[in-house]
Amino acid sequence: MQQIEKYQPQNKIRIVTAASLFDGHDAAINVMRRLIQGTGCEVIHLGHNRSVDEVVNCAIQEDAQAIAMTSYQGGHIEYFKYMFDLLKEKGSSHIKIFAGGGGVILPTEIKELETYGIAKIYSPDDGRIMGLQGMINDLVAKSDYETLTELKNHLQILKEKNPKIIAETITIAENHPENFDKTKLLKPSTTIPVLGITGTGGAGKSSLVDELVRRYLADFSDKTLAIISVDPSKRKTGGALLGDRIRMNSINNPRVYMRSLATRQANLALSKYVQESIDICRAADFDMIIVETSGIGQSDTEITDHCDVSLYVMTSEFGAASQLEKIDMLDFADLVAINKFDKKGSLDALRDVRKQYKRNHNLFEANDESLPVFATIASQFNDPGMNNLYKAIMDKICTKTNAPLQSKAELTLEQSKKIFVIPPDRVRYLAEIVENNKRYDQWAKKQSEIAQKLYQLKGTLEILNKEEDEARH
Amino acid sequence: MQNIKDKIISFEKQLAPECKELIEHWSSKEKLYTDEDYNYTVRNKTLKIKTHTESLSHSQIPKISTPRYTAWGDLLHWQLQENVPGEFPYTAGIYPFKREGEDPTRMFAGEGGPERTNKRFHYVSLGQPAKRLSTAFDSVTLYGEDPHTRPDIYGKIGNSGVSIATLDDAKKLYSGFDLCSPTTSVSMTINGPAAILLGFFMNAAIDQQCEKYIIANGLETEVEKKINALYQHKNMERPRYHGDLPQGNDGLGLMLLGVTGSEVLPLDVYEKIKRESMASVRGTVQADILKEDQAQNTCIFSTEFALRLMGDIQHYFIINKIRNFYSVSISGYHIAEAGANPITQLALTLSNGFTYVEYYLSRGMHIDDFAPNLSFFFSNGVDPEYAVIGRVARRIWAKAIKHKYNGNERSQMLKYHIQTSGRSLHAQEIDFNDIRTTLQALYAIYDNCNSLHTNAYDEAITTPTEESVRRAMAIQLIINRELGLTKNENPIQGSFIIEEMTDLVEAAVYAEFMSINERGGVLGAMETMYQRNKIQEESLYYETLKHNGEFPIIGVNTFLSSKGSPTVIPQEVIRSTEEEKQYQIATLKAFQKRNEQEAPALLQKLQQTAIANENIFEVLMDACKVCSLGQISNALYAVGGQYRRNM
Repeated sequence: MQQIEKYQPQNKIRIVTAASLFDGHDAAINVMRRLIQGTGCEVIHLGHNRSVDEVVNCAIQEDAQAIAMTSYQGGHIEYFKYMFDLLKEKGSSHIKIFAGGGGVILPTEIKELETYGIAKIYSPDDGRIMGLQGMINDLVAKSDYETLTELKNHLQILKEKNPKIIAETITIAENHPENFDKTKLLKPSTTIPVLGITGTGGAGKSSLVDELVRRYLADFSDKTLAIISVDPSKRKTGGALLGDRIRMNSINNPRVYMRSLATRQANLALSKYVQESIDICRAADFDMIIVETSGIGQSDTEITDHCDVSLYVMTSEFGAASQLEKIDMLDFADLVAINKFDKKGSLDALRDVRKQYKRNHNLFEANDESLPVFATIASQFNDPGMNNLYKAIMDKICTKTNAPLQSKAELTLEQSKKIFVIPPDRVRYLAEIVENNKRYDQWAKKQSEIAQKLYQLKGTLEILNKEEDEARH
Repeated sequence: MQNIKDKIISFEKQLAPECKELIEHWSSKEKLYTDEDYNYTVRNKTLKIKTHTESLSHSQIPKISTPRYTAWGDLLHWQLQENVPGEFPYTAGIYPFKREGEDPTRMFAGEGGPERTNKRFHYVSLGQPAKRLSTAFDSVTLYGEDPHTRPDIYGKIGNSGVSIATLDDAKKLYSGFDLCSPTTSVSMTINGPAAILLGFFMNAAIDQQCEKYIIANGLETEVEKKINALYQHKNMERPRYHGDLPQGNDGLGLMLLGVTGSEVLPLDVYEKIKRESMASVRGTVQADILKEDQAQNTCIFSTEFALRLMGDIQHYFIINKIRNFYSVSISGYHIAEAGANPITQLALTLSNGFTYVEYYLSRGMHIDDFAPNLSFFFSNGVDPEYAVIGRVARRIWAKAIKHKYNGNERSQMLKYHIQTSGRSLHAQEIDFNDIRTTLQALYAIYDNCNSLHTNAYDEAITTPTEESVRRAMAIQLIINRELGLTKNENPIQGSFIIEEMTDLVEAAVYAEFMSINERGGVLGAMETMYQRNKIQEESLYYETLKHNGEFPIIGVNTFLSSKGSPTVIPQEVIRSTEEEKQYQIATLKAFQKRNEQEAPALLQKLQQTAIANENIFEVLMDACKVCSLGQISNALYAVGGQYRRNM
């Protein structure tokens, strides 16, 4: 097979990928999104079972050039036409729609959809003729255009919180800094606190942020929220996987705006333009802003330059207690969450982190409960530790910034406790079954050997008895 | 000589009594299968079975063929690891003989609204003594939502499955089938919202029996009056079955459409009928949330909450003595369809099964109270390992349940359904697909699967037609009724390669168990998406070999026709009609309007039950009477959490 060369994008391309609503077939889109990223694009991946509304809102908030989807479960005509209509309704007809669905989408339907305005539906034959990379090259080339490059009246109308306007403003700040003068941003009407969240990769930050968002929206019926989430770019291809949205269930809400940024410089934890993005969200008068950064790890203190209150998310898997001495964020963070608290060694981790926190802050006399170190299991529904963390964050924000965000949530004394599906002392069950069954097999083998020996001995005895009998007669 | 005698005594002491018995009783056991009739008891009934059939050439073909071993070592080892069908470790099968007069054939349907699928069920089961109905739901239902005019939902209503959003829908769907009859069994392919659909099904079955009670006691007029009064009071029209009843549908289940037995019968009468109905329904609900998270993705609730719902269902089954309904179908099918090889399919599925065992035990249920409610579901492809997949599954399960969990014989018996592999069907030279399906069905039948579904050859490109489904059914019938060797019920026992393959696959499954164990068991491994990644890797391996031709597929990558065996594109596919979609939305709206007074209280009670950690299914049974699928799902999200996608 001849290798197809990758297309080289001229512009910074952002593409939203997902599988259709009520459709769990995500194998194909997972292959595609990797190739799209490998071809130098920033990919915002939403995963499977996504409604048109969710995908369209995401594409607009992220100022994406294109949406790439798979649909294997039928209803594709309605789905994609609706997507096209909704984009049009929201003034974002420039966002191109690409899709594939194997043999499920018939050739006549492909024609119908493309006539309607869907940029391209890839058929199995396209795949065979173009090859996978060929198909992706085609998709990326068709998406290789600039979205808005110059501001119109954006800065004057930011406060309306139109996601499209905010998204375009951030893009211009990021792609055309020469066309963006941050001094022209209007002042927000009140104090708008910025919560910075950072932590090690795999600590469950996105789930934790989602759980905070869920509580925030329930706590305040009218407050708005902007989330800026930063993920690293790949140095080799320039592409990036902006994967925070896939874990988030609460953000498709008119009160929430979310923007994913790629660092565009592989050695940084933050995008160069994160401050501009924060300023734009501030000018848009959101009630609170969350900035979440990529999990580069131990020297991740940059975020404290951009936020009022900072939260460091980690797990028990930091190695020896002495490793904690290297984590700068334990000096700087206002709050620390030890997430995935159901993991082994979490109690020890909590003790060690508290000790380290006391040392770092000269709080040797403080009692453990008063320290802002929280045990959380964000993946567990309505986790008491998460409730406590949320409350503590909001309280900290109020005291530090005077923002009008007094939480009505109650602080509980409850600790995060994993409700185990399999009790911890039973977790070796599969090994026990293997041992049990192999023991049986060995026993069966041994017993059979004994039986065989008995058979041989009895046979021998029979022969000897017979011979003796014959000799006697 | 004395030396030999001493040795015999010493070895006899080492021989376990049960082994001694197996050796001593072998000749009498053998005789059972050579005598003309074999007598055995099932649920206190003695059955007499002919042990031989006669061929056209007048040969006597034994149903069970026994080994010719004489040496004790071989004889004992064979009995300990193989044994005759129906005896531990059940390698060759869990029953001594196959059921007579009933082919393990399921009748599959699911398209459009409940009426269309009901018609289809009656069409495919007309004249069949046993009604084994398999229900496929549309994707809206699979994801626990209600039909809606919103286009992204609208387009999926009634496509590739039936739309069921309310109890009324379920009543219409199964109308004319006596759900409590011993010859009816219903399987429902539903996972995320399984508990809710099961609630609809159970209520439909109960109300059918209420209807029979009403007729038997001549209460029709009185009940009719009550229903009319109820509807007059609400100033609404009574729902009805849309269109004419199909041939075979006697209308059972439709009298109480729009009401429930509890509204028209005295409470004590209703409760009694409820208990009796639930104890007699037969069928399976798939409800296997672990494989959903690993392979198929129709998860709607957080995994913990979904597991809890499964546990609540099983617990409810135990309390209400629901013995003939499988509370879960532990499925490898979707794992295989997603690309796993047969060993991985088997290992992941069994490990999921043992996870349910551990979870139910941890909730205080007794192994013998729930293990008989578990069933399995595998795919059969053409790989060599598929020749022994049932043998290995039965053997591993039996050894573990007997010795590790101290379960009784009924618990030790692993029952499984086979569907031939959909993934092995190709869109090129689709006529060849029936040949593949035939070979897979042969594997399954020789391996004594408990039930079988054969795919239609055109399934790779479209919804199967009546013609293609009939051919698929013929595959099973020809194997079961025409193929002479199938008159024998253990045709693969005693084959060197089958025994070797069985050992090999069994060992491979244990190795996989250990890999999962290292990752903290099934749930631990799921957190790092171990299973998902493994399936994906194996899928990629197959695709690569298929693509480069190393893995030959006739008519696909080799043996192409002179025209190059192009992909077959269907002219037309069966889709639900506008009328059906609109009708589903209209009936849902009428249902919700009718129950707008009652529904909120029950939804709230459902949430309180969940928070109080009590049995949710118990309340769900009542909520299902007045709430729609989407209403219930959404109420439960608020207390159990929604599924969080992974990458």
